[in-house]
Amino acid sequence: MLQILIQGFLLSGLYALIAMGFTLIFSVGRVLDLAYGAYLLIGGYTYFHFSQTLGFPAAAGLALAAVVGCAMGLAKFRLIVKPLGGGHVAVEISTLILAVVLQAGVVLVFGDSSKILLPIVPGVERLEGATVPYSNLLAAVASWIILLGLYCFVRFTHTGRAMQAVSMDARGAVISGIDSDRINAITWMISGALGALGGVFFASYTQLYPGMWVAPLIISVAVVIVGGIGSIIGTLVVAHIVGFMEITVSALIAPELRGVVTMLLIIGVLVLRPRGLFGREEI
Amino acid sequence: MAYLEIDGLSAFYGRAQALFGVSLEADQGDIIAVIGANGAGKSTLFDSVMGLTRTQGDVRLEGESLIGMGTSTIVRRGVGYAPERFNLFPYMTVRDNLLVGAYTAREDIQNNLEMVHALFPRLKEREGQETSTQSGGERQMVSLGRALMTSPRLLFVDEPTIGLAPRVCNEIAEALRRLRGEFGLTILIAEQNANFALSLSDRIYVLESGRVTAQGTHDELSDDETLAAAYFGH
Repeated sequence: MLQILIQGFLLSGLYALIAMGFTLIFSVGRVLDLAYGAYLLIGGYTYFHFSQTLGFPAAAGLALAAVVGCAMGLAKFRLIVKPLGGGHVAVEISTLILAVVLQAGVVLVFGDSSKILLPIVPGVERLEGATVPYSNLLAAVASWIILLGLYCFVRFTHTGRAMQAVSMDARGAVISGIDSDRINAITWMISGALGALGGVFFASYTQLYPGMWVAPLIISVAVVIVGGIGSIIGTLVVAHIVGFMEITVSALIAPELRGVVTMLLIIGVLVLRPRGLFGREEI
Repeated sequence: MAYLEIDGLSAFYGRAQALFGVSLEADQGDIIAVIGANGAGKSTLFDSVMGLTRTQGDVRLEGESLIGMGTSTIVRRGVGYAPERFNLFPYMTVRDNLLVGAYTAREDIQNNLEMVHALFPRLKEREGQETSTQSGGERQMVSLGRALMTSPRLLFVDEPTIGLAPRVCNEIAEALRRLRGEFGLTILIAEQNANFALSLSDRIYVLESGRVTAQGTHDELSDDETLAAAYFGH
């Protein structure tokens, strides 16, 4: 039971970090970025290349992953999303294709075999029978710190308030003097950085492989659909629902069903409550 | 040269034309009313000046053309806009709605907040309330307040009295008078409630089907029996 509780909290914190970048784009840009999982893919491999292959310190590897994610987010906005205007379907199809292309690029550069990411912090903590790898603890703590920072940024800075404004009423934001293109570009950059960092931590939980962008994308879609919102608090709540469900099913029924419950949850909410559990459009 | 010159302005939504060569002038400190029936093009005129529609023609503020500038640049040039549907941020507090308005005028936040609270003391009392829970009158005050937080020299106010109780209309009218008198703002008001507009304005433009069909002072327009019967109720 303690193991489930601890693992649930650790995994949920990571899921919240992973889903946050996706929900930000959904909230501010009003599109589903189906290449979101590719940030995790590229972030994970960037960390692997610099920290594991070239021997950079872990902090430098994490920082480089975030920078690459940021650049990817900006490039995606400038080269795909903005030229496509408000065409949601076009953006979604294009981003999905982009994810497949990036996966092929990773296969080309790193090969298609899985790679084990060494623990960012080696060692484990044993707590009354429960085993907690330091790497997982770091992933959860770092996720919480990043999310707290993001919450403060969105709530208490002019740029953060502008992001909220664009998400709630884009026209109201524009007539308040906000350049919505600039705010969208910033949001895509933040989303990329969050995804890339999430990718490093996610890979430290599992492993690096070219198809690793799919599972985080499903988790992110689940959080948006179940929450029905893009809010930070809402994302935290729903990420915990998904995280605890997965850990519980994995521990008590079968690990193979872990991802299945998330997909069943998506279908269930779509059928029973299409607007999601919260139904408020805010950050 | 007038302070504001709208010169032969036409506006388009896709292929549909909504304004047909509208011209209008305002001197600094004027309150100008644009009256007309629903669908006459009043909101389109204001949207067009704000750069929110595709236009032809020119709009000059103190001789500088605003055409081709993005809306955020037009706001930075000192043009504020309180639109008919408010376009507030429903899950933000009153204070945060006002602070969003300060996005381009951060150095003036304290002075502008004091001005808004002096005009609408209720916004100070309810600064922690979400605007989604407010009455129409309070939302109108927040909308005006947000526009004032942009530090405007020129203020466009679209249908400020629509759906409001007479007492609230009087509060809004008083605030607009003070904005002109104490703060020197030039104000353009779009109104269906012609008598409200008349009580405030120096000059009136009548808009019908996207064209200016008459203009003048209250006295000048009252001499036209058709206009007087259509808009002024006498």
